[in-house]
Amino acid sequence: MKLKHQPLEMMTTKEKERIHASSCFVLDQAGLRVKNARIIDALVACGAIYENGRISVPQSMVENALESVPGTIRFRAPDPDRSFTVDAAGKDVFLGTGGQALYVLRSNRGVWTRQPAGCRDLEEIVSLCQRLSKVDFITRPMECDVALDRMDEEKARIFASNTTKPMNLANLIDPGKLSKVIEIVGDPAYLSFIVCLVTSPLAVDDTAADKLLAISGQGIPVCISSCSQAGTTAPLSEVGEMIQLNAEVLFGIVLVQAVNPGAPVLYRGIPITADLLSDGSPRWCQPESIRRVALAAEMCRYYGVPCCGTAGVSDEPVPSVQAVSEKAVSLTYQVAAGAQYINSAFGMLDRIMSVAPEQYVIDNMIAALVESELGKAQAFDERGVADAAVAAAKEAMVRLGVEVDELMDRELRSRVAFVNTRKEEYSKESMDSQQTFICSAVESPSSSLVFMKGARKGLRAGWLYIGKRIEAPLDISGLESKQELA
Amino acid sequence: MNQESSLDRIRHSIVMGHVDENDEGFDGTMEGEPGTVDLVREALDVDVNPQEILNIFNESMEEVGKLFESGKYLLPDMLASAECVGNAMDILEPHLVGKQENQKGKFLIATVKGDLHDIGKNIVSTILKGAGYQVKDLGIDVSVNDIVAAVKEFKPDFLGLSALLTTTMTEMEAVIKKLKEAGINDVKVLIGGAPTSEEFALKIGADGYCRDALHAVAKLEQMQDALSGR
Ligand code: B12
Repeated sequence: MKLKHQPLEMMTTKEKERIHASSCFVLDQAGLRVKNARIIDALVACGAIYENGRISVPQSMVENALESVPGTIRFRAPDPDRSFTVDAAGKDVFLGTGGQALYVLRSNRGVWTRQPAGCRDLEEIVSLCQRLSKVDFITRPMECDVALDRMDEEKARIFASNTTKPMNLANLIDPGKLSKVIEIVGDPAYLSFIVCLVTSPLAVDDTAADKLLAISGQGIPVCISSCSQAGTTAPLSEVGEMIQLNAEVLFGIVLVQAVNPGAPVLYRGIPITADLLSDGSPRWCQPESIRRVALAAEMCRYYGVPCCGTAGVSDEPVPSVQAVSEKAVSLTYQVAAGAQYINSAFGMLDRIMSVAPEQYVIDNMIAALVESELGKAQAFDERGVADAAVAAAKEAMVRLGVEVDELMDRELRSRVAFVNTRKEEYSKESMDSQQTFICSAVESPSSSLVFMKGARKGLRAGWLYIGKRIEAPLDISGLESKQELA
Repeated sequence: MNQESSLDRIRHSIVMGHVDENDEGFDGTMEGEPGTVDLVREALDVDVNPQEILNIFNESMEEVGKLFESGKYLLPDMLASAECVGNAMDILEPHLVGKQENQKGKFLIATVKGDLHDIGKNIVSTILKGAGYQVKDLGIDVSVNDIVAAVKEFKPDFLGLSALLTTTMTEMEAVIKKLKEAGINDVKVLIGGAPTSEEFALKIGADGYCRDALHAVAKLEQMQDALSGR
């Protein structure tokens, strides 16, 4: 997919500079909790300070790291025609799968059942995605149900025998298995990974850090991931969450560039919200999360670092019209915001807990519609993107047998209006108060409670979208690529 | 100040979820005012009966529970109230020696080894504190040995284990096995977290699986009732 216009901007340059400065403040003042000696030594050697279990990173280290990150990454594939280049300054967008589903949803005459996911399902989904036209790369959608010490090899084997597209194996269980994995897939250039380096707020996952260094040490592209949930692992405030999340991803970039200068990395920030209106579960595909994930892509663009986006993780437990509407809006915004390499764009449901083969096919259609609707936009301003999102959602619904009525249209409009609307000031004062809040929350042994209590005001102010589910029967009989389900 | 107004203020403070003076309270107006912990300290200073204070804790949380059920209160509101009670309990406890009829027992909780997920565990531990349990939270990534050692030391009535990963849920079984090996049979084990289930609990010999924090409260009540033959 190629963007026709400059990506959507919902922050001014001045505001992005402020977020950057506040993230650097947090990295310097609060730092990150870490125990891994190798990491501590490597960072201290470059100017970081380790005290009381936390490592503080001065701003100069952040700036140096950003200088040494390559702006382009080549993703090769066994089929050379499937290789592509991600260019942080470019307009090409590539879509892929993602997640680590616990369950696969199987349909029996319209009734969905949840079954534990395993190797067989992985094979099925990888080969399905090999056939789907809009899937540019494949990120493993589920782990193998084999013993831990066999998981990396088994997964590599399944990828090697079922796809010729670029392979993102996501989680490497044992860094010691990397050379074996490379041998199985045939060439390290086919591979990439995701490392969830930070447990928000601001604590390093020490084992993940070893994986990160092992992967980047081989020159294999790695997405440095942080997935904060506003209201439980980050401030509910959008400004606060952006400051914290950005600091967490920047930390990963600093670490990789300190140890392996020039190694290819992607910025993967997923600032979603927690459902404090119910039980604290993540809200992946609600308007405020869609907005925030777009802002993260925008931050990444500002740095000129390749961006790994996330889109289309529906909160719906099973395929539904509501899920279709969530996915279409989410993907439209993530593409328009300029993320170049977008994960989870296919198949994911149930707050990232489940996948359904049928959903991959539906999402393939949604991706095509998003491309075509964005292609019609006069500009990627808020209005143009909102119109494209609504049009893509409506057309997807029509193709799935829905008669789109006035109420549905109004609900979609209300969602995109929410995505486009800023609820908070991006002033210096607001940044100062959020950075102070973050620094104090990380000191608590139960920071999630600090964030939850601190969320009460924002909840009352309507920072979490409350809308209506779009209800209608879902009919996939007319789907073009349905035969791919075989 | 008389006993009644002092208890009323404590009740109001708990229902408003006003933990301490830094906290804004339910309606965002209470920053700077003395919080629940301060009010309990004050009450004890003027010799208000500790048992009466404990009763107020229970009554207030019942009211909060109703507000939550009616949808007027959201999760953070309920958690703030529960935290008020949890923190105030630490102050009240030493004054309750010998008068434990209202107390519910000790609950030890941890996220198992290799697992860093703690959002759900923190919710459970706060809600249980609010419900009157004496909770000790060992944090995340806790090894089997550390859990068993803590059981020996803290002597809880209940042990709660949390796991969010298919790769770490097996640790739960290891804990239960180790407890048995150590001859500890009098602690009831509850488990929770996304990949776990009733079935899994049964399989590994846990005493129960909980969907969420309120389910845990209900399950514990049931277990207490069964224990006391009510
Ligand atoms: C938030 C989150 C994270 C955060 C954790 C932040 C934190 N401080 O906890 C971060 C981003 C750090 C993270 C990291 C990882 N995560 Co994670 N994470 C989640 C996510 C999105 C939400 C979990 C959550 O907090 N839910 C909200 C709370 C309120 O609910 P809850 O935890 O279920 O708890 C409730 C009940 O279960 C119950 N309960 C829970 N525990 C207990 C205990 C007792 C005693 C009782 C009575 C009740 C009880 O009561 C709670 C309150 O109601 C889930 C997906 C999901 N939708 O659940 C994935 C998920 C669990 N993570 C997953 C993965 C893979 C990972 C990583 C390996 C990522 C990676 N690829 O590197 C790392 C692992 C880190 C580690 N070693 O633990 C997978 C697991 C898949 C699998 N096959 O096992 C999931 C399912 C997502 C996915 N599909 O990819 N994760």
